[in-house]
Amino acid sequence: MTSYISLPMYAANIDQRLRIIAGKCTNCSIIVYPQRLVCKCCGGKNFDLTPLSGLGELYTFSVLHGGGAPSEFDYEQKMTGDVLCGIVDLFEGPRVMARLADIDSSQLKIGLKLEAVIRRLYDQEGILRYGVKFVPETL
Amino acid sequence: MIDVAVIGVGQTRYGMFPGRTLKDLFYEASREALDDVDKGLDPNDIDEAFVGTLSTGGAQLGNFAPLMMEAAGMVGVGARHVENACASSGFAMRDAVSAISSGSADIAVAAGVEKMSDLPRERNRLWLGISGDVEWERLAGTNFAGIYAMMARRHMFEYGTKISHIKMVAVKNRQNALENPKAQFRSAFTMEQATKSPNLASPLDFSDACGITDGASMVILARADLARSFTDQPVLVVGSGVGSDYVAIHDRTSLTKLQGAVDASVKAYEMAGIRPEDIDFAEVHDCFAIAELLSYEDLGFCDRGKSGIYLESGITQRDGKRPINNSGGLIAKGHPIGSTGTGQICEVVNQLRGRADTSARQLANVGYGLTHNVGGSGAAVAVHIFKAME
Ligand SMILES: [Zn+2]
Repeated sequence: MTSYISLPMYAANIDQRLRIIAGKCTNCSIIVYPQRLVCKCCGGKNFDLTPLSGLGELYTFSVLHGGGAPSEFDYEQKMTGDVLCGIVDLFEGPRVMARLADIDSSQLKIGLKLEAVIRRLYDQEGILRYGVKFVPETL
Repeated sequence: MIDVAVIGVGQTRYGMFPGRTLKDLFYEASREALDDVDKGLDPNDIDEAFVGTLSTGGAQLGNFAPLMMEAAGMVGVGARHVENACASSGFAMRDAVSAISSGSADIAVAAGVEKMSDLPRERNRLWLGISGDVEWERLAGTNFAGIYAMMARRHMFEYGTKISHIKMVAVKNRQNALENPKAQFRSAFTMEQATKSPNLASPLDFSDACGITDGASMVILARADLARSFTDQPVLVVGSGVGSDYVAIHDRTSLTKLQGAVDASVKAYEMAGIRPEDIDFAEVHDCFAIAELLSYEDLGFCDRGKSGIYLESGITQRDGKRPINNSGGLIAKGHPIGSTGTGQICEVVNQLRGRADTSARQLANVGYGLTHNVGGSGAAVAVHIFKAME
């Protein structure tokens, strides 16, 4: 298997994935998520860790139909039909690609207010992988 | 810098060839390229070889280039594998050009090959997502269909581009491929059929995407001042530029342009001393139909956001003022990943030499031809510009 998220790779970023912890550049204050080693904005290399609110707006999206998603999602796609994927403009600035959930695909539109939840993504090698999905804001 | 010229090109037919091997495909492309050097070339005189491939399904990851060269009867040529996803052989071309222009080689080969049909469908889908920022994009449940779909939706949102514009790309390119004996998909395709195509990743349908393809291609290059001893019709590489960008699209400021393509083309135009309006025809990287629209804007053929209208005007049709993807493009000629970049160059060089395989396909106005080869969703882009040597 040439392409999959190995357990060590997944585990190395567990704080980012399950607690939505971003990096804040100590030099220019820009927030990066996923975290980076070098700042996108100023090239700085030092970051303070900062948790994100998980709130944001849908920037773009796609509904992947049968055969569209990577094969590790086959089981889910068989159960649910479609895989909903989007890019979310987070309240604190960064933009992130993630799964969308708890919404009918016909309700998706750019600008939709969303919030992050931690959900099961798929299981591989007998280990469940969890991560961020975005659902309609409940407020 | 030393001027560089193409002295021969070769390409296999593109398609699904379960019975054929990588070596066999590579050999055929090399044979055709060598035969295309009219006055002959002794393979022993080739100084360096750059062979593009993604990973051929994980079948041969180590010492790939020497193995291919050996299969082609070119053993002993200093060879290496160049990998930049779907732009692998566009970058192999760039490296071969640099080897000559820097003076370290007199004759160099750029080639590409991919064998995608070896794998079961599930494994292909597993494998084909590997050229993104896997660690993040993959867990979002998407691969390139979804990624280009999200770019398409943004383009529609920001500029009012319509689904019909996207479909027009697929229809145009499939129509162009009808006349191309080397193309994979050669059956008539109408707008009506396009609108009935099942959905793949909204807003893109299956007919807006390319398929699974096997194939190989090779370009033989020489110092321009030696070129006439090999052929009476050398083609000059007048422009060469490469660019890169954030791999994951969520890290980019804009989803409606490929900055790597803009950068690569600016460098290529600068080297050629020409402007976008000077390009007479081009082969662009339409891995998904939306990608061709983005290329019109990134290459400066039309204003930002206006690609749909530009296409609608008919300019990029075979009989238009600037034909784009006269070969059928990736969508219809086929997209054997590692072969695509040098395969595009085969098409442009043949056109510039007046050697299109069928007269119906030969373009009349061929001053400057351009190739645009994109890796993944724009993480790496190679642009080359060609002109027949006077
Ligand atoms: Zn900074």
